[in-house]
Amino acid sequence: MNHKVVVTGIDIISPLGLNVDENWKNMVAGQSGIKKISLFNANDLDTQIAGEVPPEFDEYYKKYIKKRAAKQMTRVTRMCIAATNHAIEAYQIPIHEIDKSRIAIVLGVVNTGNSSVEKGTDLSNTILKGMNNAMSAWISMEYRITGPNFTVSTACASSAYAIAIGYDFIASGNYDMVITGGADSIINPEEIKGFNNLYALSTQNSQPEKASKPFSKDRDGFVIGEGAGVVILESKSHAEKRKAKILAELMGHGISSEAYNIMSPRAEGLGMLNTMKTALSNSGLKPEKIDYINAHGTSTMLNDLYETMAIKTLFGEHSKNLHISGSKSMIGHTIGAAGAIEAAITIKSLEEGLITPTINLDVPDPELDLNYTPHKTVKKNIQYALTNSFGFGGHNASLVLKKYN
Amino acid sequence: MAVINEHTKSEVKEIVLDFFSEECEVDINEITESSNIFDDLDGDSLMFLELIEIFKKKYNLNIELKTIGKYSIKHPVRTIGELIDMQMLIIEHENDILSLE
Repeated sequence: MNHKVVVTGIDIISPLGLNVDENWKNMVAGQSGIKKISLFNANDLDTQIAGEVPPEFDEYYKKYIKKRAAKQMTRVTRMCIAATNHAIEAYQIPIHEIDKSRIAIVLGVVNTGNSSVEKGTDLSNTILKGMNNAMSAWISMEYRITGPNFTVSTACASSAYAIAIGYDFIASGNYDMVITGGADSIINPEEIKGFNNLYALSTQNSQPEKASKPFSKDRDGFVIGEGAGVVILESKSHAEKRKAKILAELMGHGISSEAYNIMSPRAEGLGMLNTMKTALSNSGLKPEKIDYINAHGTSTMLNDLYETMAIKTLFGEHSKNLHISGSKSMIGHTIGAAGAIEAAITIKSLEEGLITPTINLDVPDPELDLNYTPHKTVKKNIQYALTNSFGFGGHNASLVLKKYN
Repeated sequence: MAVINEHTKSEVKEIVLDFFSEECEVDINEITESSNIFDDLDGDSLMFLELIEIFKKKYNLNIELKTIGKYSIKHPVRTIGELIDMQMLIIEHENDILSLE
């Protein structure tokens, strides 16, 4: 039996805020969270800008994490734990009344952030802070959850993969609830230099808030962001039984490999096309049903071009009716956290009937001629939405979400 | 070998209680010798090592962590009282603690 999967809790920590409500307000207003880097002196780097989580986070997390445990976590792991605990608190998830062996934790991460800019690392906590599985492990200990906990690392699609795996866990009937999401930060000199060497990052340092510009002709690479996204999945029957507030239905997903190149997407977006097609097929939906796509939209030349080509091929004439938006224009690319953050934004869009904008789309690109929701939020009642995540290494994921009526 | 007296014992106890109160964010008056470090205080085994570093400096001890590791495998510590007793033995016997076997 294929159990239906719903979302009963979300949270976001990003450059635009420390919880989902603050983020949503700022995203609807079309704000940018991109600034000059303050975590370290970036003056000698080609890229000197990023989307950093607000400094108030250093006080905020203390509400959710004990001092002793915090010492053994990186700042990134703290983001994930704080977002999870806030989601559980804000959406009143009664974890302690649920069979703990039927709850799983699956999170996406590329880099736990134990880099040269991490503070408080010494011999006593080097290993603990560097463990890529730390964030899921801490959550299992906090709530005494005895179902599986693990992290997934599929580059920029990591937390979208986590959500997809969570879907499968529940659909199979093996689990009632899965805490999914992810957290990440690569704002450190080593990785910025590395990405600069690949010509992947924007170097438009003079106006940070204008630098991330998905689908604009003058885009020159992605802007690094950081943060955490949490999406709590639950079987529909379990959620209804406990009279939970249901935020959206996760209809299905497509995850696939491009099997092509370690960095570049497959030409003409063929891998992206296959992933979206699989997601729709697994969800039992025809392309015409989709109203909105939260695009991967990185602000790199190839991603934005190929994603547009893939959308046009899959949706045909209907592609002109679609609303598309690139959240990375406001918060940057949060790498392993991006899939979950953008899924949470999409869930808010379904709930609120608002499509957040692609800011900085100032120079139309003749090859990119779809409706990317430029500059301003649009009011529109949407029923079905798709959210895309495509990672280095050819890791692709698309999630299909439905408004819960 | 250091000589342990009542003053040392009370000093060690005070340091241990202060450390757990601070690290575990628990009122010092709620910590007793029977408090379970893991279940009652939400502590962890790394705290033992941090405490040993504190005592190494304070009493200028000649003790290696691997020696303590070998000793504690056979004498696991669960309560604050057991931890204080172990710290006293370490201060008294330093690296010779294994000869107590």
